[in-house]
Amino acid sequence: MFDLLGAALVNIVHVKYLLPLFLGTLAGVIGGALPGVTVTMTIIVALPFTFGLDPLQGLAAMAGLYVGGSAGGLVTAVLLGIPGTPSTVATTFDGYPMGRNGEPGRALWLGIWGSFFGGMLGGVFLIFTTKPLAEFALAFGPWEYFSLFVLALSMVAGLVETSLVKALVSGFIGLIVTVLGNDPMLGAPRLTLGIPFLEGGIPFLPVLIGVFAFAQIMSEVEKSGGAGAMTQPANSDANLKVSQLKVIWEILSRPFLLVWSAIIGVWIGVLPAIGGSAANIMSYDQAKKFSKHPEKFGTGIPEGIIASEAGNNANVGGSLVTIMAFGIPGDAVTAVMLGAMTIHGIQPGPLFISQHPQIAYGIFAAYIVAHPIMVLILGVGARWAMRIMTITKSTLFPIVLVLCVIGAFALDNSMDTVYVLLVFGVIGYLMVKAGFPLAPFILGAILGDQIEINLIRSIMTDPNPWLFVTRPISGLLLLAAVLSVVFSLWQHKRTQRRLAAAATPPSDEDIIDF
Amino acid sequence: MGRDTIAGLVILVVSLALLGLTFEIHSNPLVPVSPAFYPRLVLGSTAFLSFLMIVFDVAARRRAPPAAAPAKARPAKPRYDMVAVMFAIFTVYVVLLPYLGFRIATVAFLAVMQYAMARPRTRRAWIVLALVASIATAVTYYMFEGYLQVLLPRGRWTDF
Repeated sequence: MFDLLGAALVNIVHVKYLLPLFLGTLAGVIGGALPGVTVTMTIIVALPFTFGLDPLQGLAAMAGLYVGGSAGGLVTAVLLGIPGTPSTVATTFDGYPMGRNGEPGRALWLGIWGSFFGGMLGGVFLIFTTKPLAEFALAFGPWEYFSLFVLALSMVAGLVETSLVKALVSGFIGLIVTVLGNDPMLGAPRLTLGIPFLEGGIPFLPVLIGVFAFAQIMSEVEKSGGAGAMTQPANSDANLKVSQLKVIWEILSRPFLLVWSAIIGVWIGVLPAIGGSAANIMSYDQAKKFSKHPEKFGTGIPEGIIASEAGNNANVGGSLVTIMAFGIPGDAVTAVMLGAMTIHGIQPGPLFISQHPQIAYGIFAAYIVAHPIMVLILGVGARWAMRIMTITKSTLFPIVLVLCVIGAFALDNSMDTVYVLLVFGVIGYLMVKAGFPLAPFILGAILGDQIEINLIRSIMTDPNPWLFVTRPISGLLLLAAVLSVVFSLWQHKRTQRRLAAAATPPSDEDIIDF
Repeated sequence: MGRDTIAGLVILVVSLALLGLTFEIHSNPLVPVSPAFYPRLVLGSTAFLSFLMIVFDVAARRRAPPAAAPAKARPAKPRYDMVAVMFAIFTVYVVLLPYLGFRIATVAFLAVMQYAMARPRTRRAWIVLALVASIATAVTYYMFEGYLQVLLPRGRWTDF
C-alpha cells in the first residue's frame, strides 16, 4: 500500500497533475468563499472542464476542489460573519467574534490550520480503511448489495431534517427516473413514453446538475431578484498577520478536540448524503459539550473554530471512502465525482481500488497534496478573495447556467441531455418549493439501476425472498435500514412533542408530520 | 388543500399513470422476472407513500386548531415573478441553441439574463453587461473547443 501511495505522491506532483489539482483547489476556495455558491455548484461548474482531461487529472482537480471548497467558506465566515458555504456555519460562531475582538488573523489561521489537520486526519482514515472495506464488500452477493443500497436510501431519508414520508417519496421519485427507459438487465423496452431518447434511460448527470444548480440559483433569485453583490465589500484593512507556529501549537495542544472533531467529520462523511454542514455543526456542538467552559463558546474562543473546521474537512475523507469502497456517493459532491468517473469508463465500487490502483491511489495523493495547496491559497489569497466577493449575482448566475448547459451537452454531444437538464431543473425547483429534500432523490436516481440489477440477479439466482433476511450480512444491513427508519420516526415524534410543549399555535408551514 | 396534499396528489396521479403503462410491457417467456416487475414495485410504493403523505397532511391540518398566528416579522416576499422570467429565458435559450449556435445564443442569453436580473441604469453598466456577455462566451467557446476538445452546438439557421 505504502509503495503505491509513494508512487502516486511522486506522480501527482508532476505538472500534468499538479496544475489541475491546483486549479481545482483554487476554484474550490473561491466557490467556497462566495456566499450563495456551494461546493456542489462549484463542482458542477467545473465538471465540463474535466471532460477533456485524462481520468486522474480530472479526479485530482475534483479532489482539490472538494478540499478547497470545504475550507474556502471560512474566509467570509471569519472576516464577515457570513458563512461562504453551509459547511462553515458553525465557524462563524467563534471565528467572527474573534475577528471583531481584534484578532482576525488568528481566527483565520486557526480555521485554515484546523481545516488542514482535520482534513489530514480524514485522509488517514481514507487511506487505511478504503481497501479493507472494499475487500469486505467483495464478499457481497446481489442480496447484500441490494440490502446495502436499501440501507443507504433509508438512512438518507431518515437523516434529513424533514418529514420521513416526504424524504422517502423523494427517494422513490429518484428511483422512478431510473425505471424510465429500457430495463438494465436485458434491454427490454419499457416506459419510454414514445420518446426515442428514453430508450437508453435518463443519464443521471444532467439530472443532478439540473436539480442542484437550478434549486440553488432560483432560490437565490427568489430572495433578491438576483441583483446585488454576493456580500458587502470587506474591510480590506484587517490585519491578518499572525505567528504561524503559535497558531499551529494552539491546535496541536488540543489533541482530543482535534481528533474527536475529525472522527465526527469522518463518520458523517461516511453516512450517505448528510454533508459538511452537519459535520461542522456537530463537531462544534461536541466541542462545546466536552468543554470545561461551554459558556465561552460564541465569544471568540479557538476551540469553536478548530472543532468546526476540523470536522467539515475530515468529512471529505469520509465521503470519499464510501464512493471508493462501495460506489455509494457520500454527498452531492461525490455524486458528481461518480459521474465524472463513469464518463471516463471507471466504475467506482469494491473492484475500483484493485482494478484501477493508479487512479485510486492517485486520488489519495491528490487529496493529501490538496491540503498544503489549500493552506497556501487561503494564506496568500484571503484578502484577494474578499475582493472577488463584490461580484454580482446577475453576472455570476447566468455564466453558471451556461456552464451547466455545456456540462450537459458535452456528455454525448446532444441537445437531449440539455433538455433533461431543463426538465429536471424545473422538477428540482418545484421539489424544493414543495419541501422535498433533494438528497434522497439524487441517491435514488444514482442507485436505482444498481438496486434493480441486484434485486433481479438475486431473484434469478434463487427465487427464495427469505435469503435477503437469512444471509447474515444482508439481514444485518436490512435490520440497520429498519432501525434507521425507526430512529427517524422516534426523532420526529420527539420534535413534535417539543413543538407541542412550546405551546405556540403552529402556522401553516410549521406543521411537522412523519 | 395544503402544500403536501397538492404535491402528494400530483405524485400519486403520475405514479398511477406510469403504473398503468407497466401493464403494456411485454414479458420474455425465457426470463423468469418480467421487466415490469421492478417498475411496478417502485411505482406502487411511490403511489402508496404519496397517499400516506396526503393522509398525514390532512390529519395534521385537522389536529392543528385554526388560531390567529402571532404577529411576527414577515420575511421579504419571494420574487416568484423573477424565477418565472429566469426559467422562461433559459427555456428560450435551450430551444434556440441548436438553431442559432452556441456563440450567438449564449451572447444573447447572457445579455438578456443580466438585464433581467439587474437592469443597467448607467452607461458603464451597459458596457459591463456587453463585455461580460461577449467575453464569457468567447472564453468558454475557445476553452472548450480549442483546449478541451468539447464541440459546442453549431446553428442550423446560422451555421455559426
